[in-house]
Amino acid sequence: MSDMKAETTAGMGTDPLVTAPFGLPPESYDPTSAKLSKRPPGPWRMLWSKFSRNPYAMTGLVVLVFFVVMALLAPWISKYDPSRIDMMFPNLKPGVDGHLLGTDELGRDIFTRLLYSARISLLIGFSVALASVIIGSIVGAISGYFGGWIDTIFMRFVDVMYSVPTLFLNILVLAIFSSEIKYMIMILALTSWMSIARLVRGNFLQLREMQYVEAARAIGVSSWGIIFRHLLRNASFPIIVNATLMVGSAILSESALSFLGLGIQSPATSWGVMLSNAQEFMLVDKLQAVYPGLCILLVVLAVNFIGDGIRDALDPRQGMSKTRRRLKQWQKNYSKSGN
Amino acid sequence: MTEYLVRRLLQSVLVIFLITVATFLLIHAAPGGPTQVMLAPGLSPEAMAQQKENMGLDQPLPVQYIKWVGNLLQGDLGYTFKNHIPVGDLLWPRMMNTLILMGVAWFVALVIAIPWGIYNSTREYGLSDQTSSFISYLGFAMPSFWFGILLQQYLSLGLDWFPLSDMHSRGKDGEIGDLFMHLVLPVSVLALGFLASYMKYARASMLEVLDQDYIRTARAKGVKERKVVFRHALRNALIPIITVIGLDLPILVSGAVLTENVFNWPGMGRFYVENALAREYSVLMAITIVTAVIVIIGNLLADILYAVVDPRVRLGGKGGKAA
Repeated sequence: MSDMKAETTAGMGTDPLVTAPFGLPPESYDPTSAKLSKRPPGPWRMLWSKFSRNPYAMTGLVVLVFFVVMALLAPWISKYDPSRIDMMFPNLKPGVDGHLLGTDELGRDIFTRLLYSARISLLIGFSVALASVIIGSIVGAISGYFGGWIDTIFMRFVDVMYSVPTLFLNILVLAIFSSEIKYMIMILALTSWMSIARLVRGNFLQLREMQYVEAARAIGVSSWGIIFRHLLRNASFPIIVNATLMVGSAILSESALSFLGLGIQSPATSWGVMLSNAQEFMLVDKLQAVYPGLCILLVVLAVNFIGDGIRDALDPRQGMSKTRRRLKQWQKNYSKSGN
Repeated sequence: MTEYLVRRLLQSVLVIFLITVATFLLIHAAPGGPTQVMLAPGLSPEAMAQQKENMGLDQPLPVQYIKWVGNLLQGDLGYTFKNHIPVGDLLWPRMMNTLILMGVAWFVALVIAIPWGIYNSTREYGLSDQTSSFISYLGFAMPSFWFGILLQQYLSLGLDWFPLSDMHSRGKDGEIGDLFMHLVLPVSVLALGFLASYMKYARASMLEVLDQDYIRTARAKGVKERKVVFRHALRNALIPIITVIGLDLPILVSGAVLTENVFNWPGMGRFYVENALAREYSVLMAITIVTAVIVIIGNLLADILYAVVDPRVRLGGKGGKAA
């Protein structure tokens, strides 16, 4: 892109009338050297250039970054302690006494609690996604690369895991073991890795027939080397899409479990805890239930938009089919002349 | 076809077996195990041993497991630890309540989602299509319990249109009008969730079919657009939609955990959470097994349904599913 622009400017340079407002290219400018020094864009660059042109995805990214920054800087943004009870000032209205969103029924600052909740929710969201990616990739990779009876057993197991009612299992496990964060991350990951395993397996089934895999095998690369160095890297983009979407669903699951009283326990706080609290005191303060839910909605929407954006950016057909459909639509609406 | 069914049936039995083993082991892996919860605290060691023996907890695990499964097969789901009530007696009425709630929500969602999805597929990226995709996004990203709380706050407490929670008003058990009013809010919450996915499926499935060559042929022959959509496209588009709906059937029993808790609906989901918080393991085990069995039967039914509506599967033709 930038090459073309540079060349056109250089071409225009012959006409003094046009050059004047734009200015001449610098003396040292040499189109050939510029072209040579520039490497072809890598896959990440290409992904980014498409991704950054998608308004939904970029909005999602901005919102997510905003929440992450707020969560990380929580102690510096708010001077209050999220779990400090102050019975002198319960149920303050928003904006009173420096409490940005007021206080809850125990006099805890709602805005501060939102910030610290973001920490827990995002932590759980990202860790669950990461853990599921690790479990799912390993299972999928082994299944897809080796095939045969290993594949059959693994995939049947995935089927079994799919048929387990997830929320019931999560509740059961959290009821049996205590509901510490580490158990929560573990059980959420253990019940959500299956989609990644299927995805990785499908990709591996295709990729393992590639010639570079054969070449690697010929020069004596071990199976694990091929799996990790060659195959997993090539399957990484679809995994990233899936993992992004998983962050959203993990945040939803966490808030649901906390809402039911089986997840994060007071005095720690999460958006789900705040919602269950708000439901109890619905008659006192209506707005209290709005904030945490809105936070969950925004973060999950943002993550989903980002995931969809990456998927669209990766899919070469996506743009085309959309264009084709729009064209069809346009023809239907406007070409009344009958061509 | 028969071979396919038999294989699926055997698979299902195996899966149910695995789930019983897993549930059993999970409960017994709990710190302290079931003993700690079942036995009253502060008993003397002798009394403790006596009670253990009465409950059969002193026997080796495999023996306990076989006894438990044997009881399950006879329809005996065990007894609650606290009051020694048969779990089944508590469970079945609650399952009915959930079925009422979910059945209505599911029906409402289907009636709205399928026609709307089909309509949207014929007018892609139109206003209606954009609206529905907005609703879908909301349905996927919004915590259902939050939506429920908001409805309670604004439509029930604020405007007083609908009752806040529960299934019946006091003293009005069994009145249909009263039940209906109690159903509106939870059904809206649940229906939104269903709607989000069904609308997307209906639309995507129709779009895929409408892109096929035989549709173009039909249009080229001069078949009316209405007929193309309903006769040629819809019939084929319905196959994947039916499968998805079939796979969702078990949710009718298990899927309303959050909504039931928000609206205090006396169903399975709330029962399960109550017992989880009380560490009432025999109930948890029973519900887990019952729902797992229902899920697996549901999946089996979905597969059969799929085979019935799609002759390619039924006849096991050379083309197979991939065609």
